[in-house]
Parts: sequence; structure tokens; C-alpha cells
Amino acid sequence: MNYNWEWGIYLAAEPGGTGIYIKYLVIGLGWTLATALAAWVIALAIGLVVGTLRTTPHKWVVRLGNAYVEVFRNVPLIVQMFLWFFVVPELLPKALGDWVKQMAPPWGSYLPAVMCLGLYTSVRVAEQVKAGIGSLPRGQGMAGTALGLTLGQNYRFVQLPQALRIVLPPLTSEFMNVIKNSSVALTIGLLELTGRARAMQEFSFKVFEAFAAATVIYLLTNLVVVFAMRALEKKVQVPGLISASPTAGAH
Amino acid sequence: MISIKNISKWYGSFQVLTDCSTEVKKGEVVVVCGPSGSGKSTIIKCVNALEPFQKGEINVDGISVGDPKTDLPKLRSRIGMVFQNFELFPHLSVTENLTLAQIKVLGRTPDAARDKGLKLLDRVGLMAHKDKFPGQLSGGQQQRVAIARALSMDPIAMLFDEPTSALDPEMINEVLDVMVQLAQEGMTMMVVTHEMGFAKRVAHRVIFMDAGKIIEDCTKDDFFGAPRSERAQLFLSKILHH
Ligand SMILES: Nc1ncnc2c1ncn2[C@@H]1O[C@H](COP(=O)(O)OP(=O)(O)OP(=O)(O)O)[C@@H](O)[C@H]1O
Ligand SMILES: [Mg+2]
Repeated sequence: MNYNWEWGIYLAAEPGGTGIYIKYLVIGLGWTLATALAAWVIALAIGLVVGTLRTTPHKWVVRLGNAYVEVFRNVPLIVQMFLWFFVVPELLPKALGDWVKQMAPPWGSYLPAVMCLGLYTSVRVAEQVKAGIGSLPRGQGMAGTALGLTLGQNYRFVQLPQALRIVLPPLTSEFMNVIKNSSVALTIGLLELTGRARAMQEFSFKVFEAFAAATVIYLLTNLVVVFAMRALEKKVQVPGLISASPTAGAH
Repeated sequence: MISIKNISKWYGSFQVLTDCSTEVKKGEVVVVCGPSGSGKSTIIKCVNALEPFQKGEINVDGISVGDPKTDLPKLRSRIGMVFQNFELFPHLSVTENLTLAQIKVLGRTPDAARDKGLKLLDRVGLMAHKDKFPGQLSGGQQQRVAIARALSMDPIAMLFDEPTSALDPEMINEVLDVMVQLAQEGMTMMVVTHEMGFAKRVAHRVIFMDAGKIIEDCTKDDFFGAPRSERAQLFLSKILHH
């Protein structure tokens, strides 16, 4: 292949007038992270609750949790993105819906993107949390109960601290997935990293340079996440406890 | 103290317990034995409502275990339980294992809980290990911590489910010694065990179960002197000769 790489393009000004292309892309990374982090907070909060509820002895609570998971797991991410962007505002009370639709860019795309990714990821977190709790010896919960802990205290002090340590590696993968999946938000007009790489390619016709930069930025970001999570795993490691399976890696 | 009246329990259509009745008086030590699968674990788990039962009545210190209005966490906090696999909380240090329920269930202050826990830890001879984690202790040490953890709640009775079955032989005695001492101090105890030496030393009564039924319920002397049922004799001859 005979392609003339033009590395200088990164230092050229983008036509929107915000500065050079590399700055344009880095701002895109900022939006990617802002979307992914906000979605991750939602995903962790809901996933923890739903995953835990699905392990309780209450049949109806378990069914409700299962239904929630099935809904968000079986609809493709991009469809969910469109639903949040186009359909949900129509379903809201009129005043609220109009407010959402008239939000200034990029918020009009950002908010639906965060909600979509947050809920989509929450079921994946819920699956992990449920599996983690399920992998604990049955006697652990029993010992807590026998000491007089209530069900809530049992989860809070006995089961979840152990389960979360076990599922930390798969949760790392899920966090990296949110970062990658946030690129789907470009379909509803959010100019995050991928969206900006595409825009750069359209303005400058430098397709290779644009996506090479995006690729490297994604890789570096995920590398940072991997190292941060490794550090966290080390920090919460329990002396004498067989550590969870060493599968903390990107995939 | 513990009264079990005509308890029956089913897992689906499988009957695990059939019309079991017995009584454990204050300060009494009752050993429960019987072949594997006979329902020993199940019956003592019914006593602190870890397992529900469908028929009959259990009262602990006058409180009905099966009554839906009973505050079960509170009742359970007054009954100590020791498991075959110790079930210490592996993510908590020994001291935290001893204080967690004291603080969260009994509402004791962290300092009071710690004092109490360490006193009991000292009693089971493990003071030097107070800052270790369960995974750093031997099986026998873990089980002694588990006993101390149960005692830290000031229980009115203690339940033991094969407390020495998961231990290497050389560690069995360190745990039995703690239990013997406890029995001699007058603790009310219901002990599922095949350690007949323990039964001979401190038990007041022995219950023999088979296929979900209480076959024998008699004094220690009667049980080891001349058990009336053939099943019990067969069982005894098996476990005493190995
Ligand atoms: N959760 C359960 N679901 C269905 N059956 C069960 C369950 N738990 C126990 N059982 C059955 O109930 C019967 C009594 O079990 P239990 O654990 O009380 O026996 P055990 O006398 O303690 O035996 P072991 O000496 O092996 O501990 C067994 O046949 C067992 O298979
Ligand atoms: Mg058993």
C-alpha cells in the first residue's frame, strides 16, 4: 500500500475554529470519558442493586430483577441509543419531553447517551454481581444470618465485600466496554472521540491519520484503566485469601 | 431452654424430618449423632430458623421459632452457631470477625465489642493472631475463632454442626478442649458430632437419628450402655471401631 501519511495534519487548524485537530480529538476524548464515567456510575449503582436483588429469597423480587435484565440485554445497543434519543422524549410528559428535545448541543445527545449506556451496562454489572454472590459458599450467608445480621446487613457486610472482590476483573472489562461503547453515541450526534475522528476525516480527507489517532487514544485510555484497576485489586486483596482468577485483561 | 415438638420438614416431596421431638434444658449438653443424611444438620438449623419447617413447634427460651411475628434476627443473635466449615468471614481480620455482629446486631460500641472479642480470643488461646485474616490460620485455629465469635454474642445456647469433621486429626483436640471447657461451665449445647469421646466426657444426653427420625433419645449412660435400637448399635459399632 502506498499511502502518503501526513502527520502534520494534527497541527493544522480544524475548520470549526476551535483550534488544531489534535486538540479537537482530545476534547472528543473528554466527551468520551464524561459519557463513560457518568454511565458507569449509573451502571454500578443499578447493577449492584439489581444483581443483589436477584439473589434474595424473595421470588417476586428475583423475577422483577430478571425481567429488567432481559429487557436491556436483548435489545441491541444502537437500537437502545435511538430509543433514548428519539422515542423516550416523546413518552415523557410534554413539558419535560420538550425540554429534553430543546437542550443545547451537546447536552441533547449527551443525556440520552449516558442514560442508554448506563442502563445497558447496568444489566451486565448485575449479571456479574449476581454471579459473584452465587459463587460464595452457602455457609457464608448462613453464618451471617446465624449471628443475627438482617438480610441487608448480610449483603452489606458479608456477601458483597467478598463478591465484589471476586468480580473485580470482569468489572474492569465492563468498564472498558463502556468506554468503547460510548462511540455508539456518535449515531445520535454526540461528538465524542470517534465522532470527532470521523469529522476530521470528512474535513481533511485524512482517513488514516484521523482513525490512527483515535485508535491510539483509545488504547492509551484503556491501558490507564487496566493499571488503575490492577492497583485497586491489589489494594483490596485480602491476606491469605486465594485471589480471584487472574483474568483482568482487555477483551 | 430448647423445646422441639413434633417437627416435620419436607424438601419438596422429600421428607427430611419426621415428627421429631426433644427437649434441651438449661445447662444441658446434648449430642446428636446418626448416619450421613439422617437430618442432623437440618434439625439443628431449624432451631435457629436457618431452615424453615412445615409442621410442629420449636421454642427457644419461650420464644416460638416458627411464629411469623418472631423477630428472627434478634432470636438468632442469642443462639450461637458453629459450622463444619468454620465460615469465618475471610475478608475481615480475626478481630473484625469477632466484633462485626456485636456492633451491627447488638449495638455495642466498637471499643466494647473489641474488649469482649479479645477476651474470648484469649480464652481460646489465639490472642497472638488477632490481626491476622482467617486464610492465614489453620483449620483448628479458625474453628476456635468461630467459637469465640459465637460466644462474643453472649448466647443463651450454642449449636454445633460437626465442628471437627473438616479438621485434620491433630487439630481435633484443640477444638474439643474448648468445647469441653464450655460444657463444664454450664453452657447449654446441642452438638452434632461423631466424636464419641466428647459425648462420653461431657454429654448429658445422646440423640440418635436415622432417616429423619429420632430413634434414640436417652442419657449418655443408657446410650453407651445398651442402645435399644439395632440401627444405633450398628452405627456405634461402626464409628467406635475406627
Ligand atoms: N437444600 C436441600 N434440598 C434438598 N434436600 C436436602 C437439602 N439439604 C439437605 N437435603 C437432604 O436432607 C437430608 C438430610 O440432610 P442433613 O444435611 O440434615 O443430613 P445430616 O444428618 O446432617 O448428614 P451429614 O452427616 O452428611 O451432614 C439428606 O438426605 C439431604 O440430601
Ligand atoms: Mg450435616
